[in-house]
Amino acid sequence: MKENFFRSMTWLHTWVGLLVCWLLFLIFFAGTLSFFKDEISFWAKPEIHQIRHQDHRVASQAKQINDVFADLQQKAPNSLSWRINMPDSRNPVLSYGYAEPKQPGQRRAPFNYTHIDPNTLEPVPEPRDTKGGGFFYRLHFDLHYIDVFTARILVCLASMFMLVALVTGVVIHKRIFKDMFSFRRNKGSRSWLDAHNVSSVLALPFHIMITYTGIITLIFMLFPYPAETVYEEGLSQMFNEALPVNKRAAPTDEHRPMVAINQVLDQIYTKYPNADISHVFVRNANTASSQIVVYLATAKEVVDNGPRYLFNGVTGQIDAQSGEDWSASAQFYDSMTALHSGRLAEPLLRWLYFLCGVAGCAMIATGCMMWAKRLRERMKPEQSAHRGLKLVETLNLATLMGLPFATCAFFIANRLLPIELAARADKEVLAFFLAWLFIAVLALFGRTQSHWRLAAWLNAVACFSIPLINAFTTEGNWISYLLTQQWALFGIDSAFICAGLMFIVQSRKIPSHDNVKEKGNLFKNRQLKEQQG
Amino acid sequence: MHSQSLQAGQAKEPRGAKKRSQSLSYRVAVFFRFVAAILGGYVFTSVFISLLAVLLPLNKLDSVLLTTTLSVFFYCCVFIWVFAVKSLKVVWITILLTTSLQLFVLALIKGWL
Repeated sequence: MKENFFRSMTWLHTWVGLLVCWLLFLIFFAGTLSFFKDEISFWAKPEIHQIRHQDHRVASQAKQINDVFADLQQKAPNSLSWRINMPDSRNPVLSYGYAEPKQPGQRRAPFNYTHIDPNTLEPVPEPRDTKGGGFFYRLHFDLHYIDVFTARILVCLASMFMLVALVTGVVIHKRIFKDMFSFRRNKGSRSWLDAHNVSSVLALPFHIMITYTGIITLIFMLFPYPAETVYEEGLSQMFNEALPVNKRAAPTDEHRPMVAINQVLDQIYTKYPNADISHVFVRNANTASSQIVVYLATAKEVVDNGPRYLFNGVTGQIDAQSGEDWSASAQFYDSMTALHSGRLAEPLLRWLYFLCGVAGCAMIATGCMMWAKRLRERMKPEQSAHRGLKLVETLNLATLMGLPFATCAFFIANRLLPIELAARADKEVLAFFLAWLFIAVLALFGRTQSHWRLAAWLNAVACFSIPLINAFTTEGNWISYLLTQQWALFGIDSAFICAGLMFIVQSRKIPSHDNVKEKGNLFKNRQLKEQQG
Repeated sequence: MHSQSLQAGQAKEPRGAKKRSQSLSYRVAVFFRFVAAILGGYVFTSVFISLLAVLLPLNKLDSVLLTTTLSVFFYCCVFIWVFAVKSLKVVWITILLTTSLQLFVLALIKGWL
């Protein structure tokens, strides 16, 4: 499009990056937090903080499932759906429930859940109404306040732009290795470029992997055409073939007692003596078409779908199974979604995922800052800012400073909102967006260095207040978490303290107003001097 | 490198009325580039991977999963190619020709005609 390939790629890199950088920042930011989805959900429910992880988790599963089945048989023998979610290394609570009959007008049958402490099998107090980490997980690809389908198309398009920006970024970056070790401080937009290069190059394989696999998680919405062409009945037929376990039997009214659950579990344990069961689902309980589905954990392989077995609920025979011997193509596809979700990651790898995600946020943030800084530096002193430049600067401040602040507001609201508030979970989300709106309004009034410093201070205060508010409103605190080795809670409090420190550093690094003018005009002063000289 | 080329782009800011009309045609050209990249690339990729899924000597499920997983790679290549080629006409003619040719072959194989 330009005179030569190199120029075209530079142009493309700049514009695909700039067009969607704020949406991408939101996606990367929420996605990075989602690596700790379970931990955030646990943090958000202080009612279950005292529950300890079991010592012999896998060994006690058979008895727990037996007890839960007995309870479900008593509570809801005729429900269309039972679900048992076993505790795992990240979530200590065992929760199970049944679908209540669907009322007319409801899209889905309401689910009645019970949460129990797996150590004692005693019910735990009902946790507060919160979305926890699930909010950031949904925000990551469903956004909020807009239709889910539109949101996902937008996210796909932004990710596609990101992928193009990454590839063109590598193309235009001739001295990729040399630049990795060069950082020129206090050089105006040159420093922003270096920061952009460092954050991009250091985690480049991660950025490319996470962007590509991210689009793959939504790929059947984006490109259903091969499946529609090859299969007569299209996507649904393909999914049924890929995962026969998901095929539901039609409900009937004919009562038939279910097989003893032990008989089902015995077959699992014969195949996998150390089976780690993650879920047990029952469909059409106590009828002629009852089904029992047993999900096994993935055992640290790079796949998202572990082995699953579908048992006939009446006879106890295996009707279908999946997830055991995937073909190469299926493994290729599934390993991509597994790499993206990072569910396989043990704590150390999970933190690496998180840090790479932070590097991705930094890459996007420095990218959109750089564009505005460059234009500012090139402007003549008497020139007033262009409309586009003002827009970019406003969006930069509103997004880069607004999102962390909104996140803090979400966590604070989780602790401070009254427990018995109606629709409490939605109020937490409202707090998130109100806080974001607050910073956005601030950005509308001005984008000078002092506005940035104010936003950084607000963020620092918000970050530090979270461990404090937590200490006053719950039984534990940052120190006690360390002493009792509750690493998930300790990690979240520590992360906020680190973020707070970083915002303080940021606010101190932002030069005072006069200083900026000096530096911004350095280039022009030099030119002037040269002309005069 | 990066900064120089950007500077070159910025230096062409319109000043007079004559340049303004030039900048308008430039904007229209950029718009159609993006349409070619986003929509053209999408349609080309869809037809290409559908044809590939039919042609690959694999079982149904495998060929669908493989081609669908690779779709993003093809889409990305087309997207970048659209901006690498100098003439917008060449871009549109290539996309339309290759897409319709593939669609024709696919229709022949599937017996849609």
